[in-house]
Amino acid sequence: MRPELRPATADRQAYRPAPVPLLGCLVRYRAADRRRLAGPRPEDLVDHLDRYGARPSARGWDGADLIAALDAAALTGRGGAHFPAVAKWRAVLAAGGSGYVVANAAEGEPASAKDAALLQHRPHLVLDGLAAAAEALGAAGSVLWLHDNARDTRMAVDRALNERRAASLAEPPVRVLSGPEHYLTGESSAVLNALAGGPALPAFRLVPAARAGLAGRPTLVQNVETMARVALLARGGAEAVVPGPLVTVAAGGVLTVCEPPPNVTLGGLLWRLGLLGPGLRPPRAILLGGYGGAWADWLSVADRTLGRLDGRRPSDSVPSLGAGVVAPLPSDGCGLAETAAVLGYLARSSARQCGPCVFGTRDLADTVARLAAGRARRADVRRLHRLIGEVDGRGACALPDGAARLARTALSVFHHDLDQHLRGRRCHDGTGTVLPIPVVTA
Amino acid sequence: MRDSRPAAPARLRVDPVACDGVGMCAHLAPGLIVLDTWGYPIVASALSRRADIRAARAAVAGCPRRALLLEADRQPSWNGTGDPDGGSD
Repeated sequence: MRPELRPATADRQAYRPAPVPLLGCLVRYRAADRRRLAGPRPEDLVDHLDRYGARPSARGWDGADLIAALDAAALTGRGGAHFPAVAKWRAVLAAGGSGYVVANAAEGEPASAKDAALLQHRPHLVLDGLAAAAEALGAAGSVLWLHDNARDTRMAVDRALNERRAASLAEPPVRVLSGPEHYLTGESSAVLNALAGGPALPAFRLVPAARAGLAGRPTLVQNVETMARVALLARGGAEAVVPGPLVTVAAGGVLTVCEPPPNVTLGGLLWRLGLLGPGLRPPRAILLGGYGGAWADWLSVADRTLGRLDGRRPSDSVPSLGAGVVAPLPSDGCGLAETAAVLGYLARSSARQCGPCVFGTRDLADTVARLAAGRARRADVRRLHRLIGEVDGRGACALPDGAARLARTALSVFHHDLDQHLRGRRCHDGTGTVLPIPVVTA
Repeated sequence: MRDSRPAAPARLRVDPVACDGVGMCAHLAPGLIVLDTWGYPIVASALSRRADIRAARAAVAGCPRRALLLEADRQPSWNGTGDPDGGSD
C-alpha cells in the first residue's frame, strides 16, 4: 500500500506538532545480548507517517531553515561528545558541501542500547534525519554505519529502506555498511577510516572530517539519535526537541532505554524504573556517561536533573551523561572492583596505536585491579595519579581520556573504600562485578 | 643567548599514531618537550618566542617518524579532536 504523502513544503510553516517523543516507551535489552531485537513491534512507514507526518524537504532554502532550526535548538551530538551539531553542518557547507553524510549507529559502549532501540523501533525517523542532512548539505552519498553483528538492527533498517523505496519517497539513496564488533568501531575517525577501505581504527586527523573527510570531501558523521532529532526539527522547529535525551540505565544485567523528561531527577528516574523505593537500598554510587564517564557520589547527584539536549547544563543538572548512560552501583557493590573491570575492558579495547594508551591504559587497569584486590600500597595510589595525568589526552581518540576520567573519579568517590583496600580489607570478595563487560576479540 | 623576542603564536602537536617514542624531539627542544614514563613526548601548548619556534622547528625536522607538527596557533572553533561520535566515550 502506498501511503498518502502530505505536500511537503506548503505544510512546513503550518505543521507545528506538540513535542513528540522519540521512543514513547521503555525498551529493555539483556546486557549480555544487547544487539538482539527487544521491545515492541518496529514501526512501519504507515505508522511513522501517521505519527510524525511526511518529512519536509531540506533542499535549498528549506535546508537553510533547517540549519537555522538546529542553531536555535542548539542541538548537540548524542554520540557522547555533545559537540554542537550546527558547527559541523556549517563547516561542511563552508567546505563546499557535495561530500558525505554518515548516520553512526555503531554503539560501542557496552552499557548503552539507545541507538539500537531507536533504529529497531523508529528506523524511519533516523532515515528521515539522514535524508534531511544529505539534502541540506548537498551530499553526494549517505551511509548508515553499524556493527557487523547488529543483525536485528540491520534487518529493521533494511526493511524500512525497502518500504521507502516501495513508496517512492523522494530522497537520496542510503548505503548500509558495517564494521567489526569492537568498542572503537563507532569512533568518528575510525568510521571514516573504515569507509575509506582501511581498518575501523581511530586515526590522527589534522583537519576535521567536516572540512575534509571521506575521499577528501566534507563529511558529516552524526549519531543516529542526533539524526532522529534532526528529523523532528525539520518538521516542527525548535520545540520539537523539548523531550530529554534518550537514556540507557544499566542495572542488574539489563539495559533499559527510556526517554525521561528533562526536569526529572536522577533519583526520580531510578524510582520510575523500580530501582529505587521502599525496601530497596539506594545505590552506593553511580556511573554517569558510560565506561569513559565519571563516577558520582549518589547523594550528591540523586536530586539533580538530567542534562538537556542543547548541551547547556543548568546548575541543578548532573555532570555529563555522555551518550546517555546511567549505571547505579548496588549498595553491596565495590566501586574499585567495577572500575578495575571497566579499565581492563578499555585496555583490551585499545587500538594499540598510540604509545601512551598501549602502556598507560594497561598500567592504569592493572594498578586499579591490584588496589581492588587489596594488594596495593600508598605509593601505588601516587603512581595512579601520575598515570592518569600521563594518559589523559594522549591518544588519537578519546579512549585514554575516558579511562583517565573513570580512574580519577573512582579515586575521589571511593576514597573511603580506598583506605580500607590499602589496609588489605576488601569491601567484598572481588568476584562478580555487576557492570557488563563484553569479551574483546582481537 | 636565548632569543626571547615575540613571534607569531604557534603550537606543537604530536601525531600519537605515528610516534614511536624515539625521543629525538626531547633532545632537540629540551625546554619544550619532555618525555613521559614510556618515552613518548609531552609538548608545550603555546609557543610565542622566536627561540622556542626555532627549537620546535628543529624537533619537527629531526623526528624520524615525522610525528611532530608545528602549526600556527589560530584559535580554531574546532580542532578536529575530541569528537568521538558514538561509542567511543
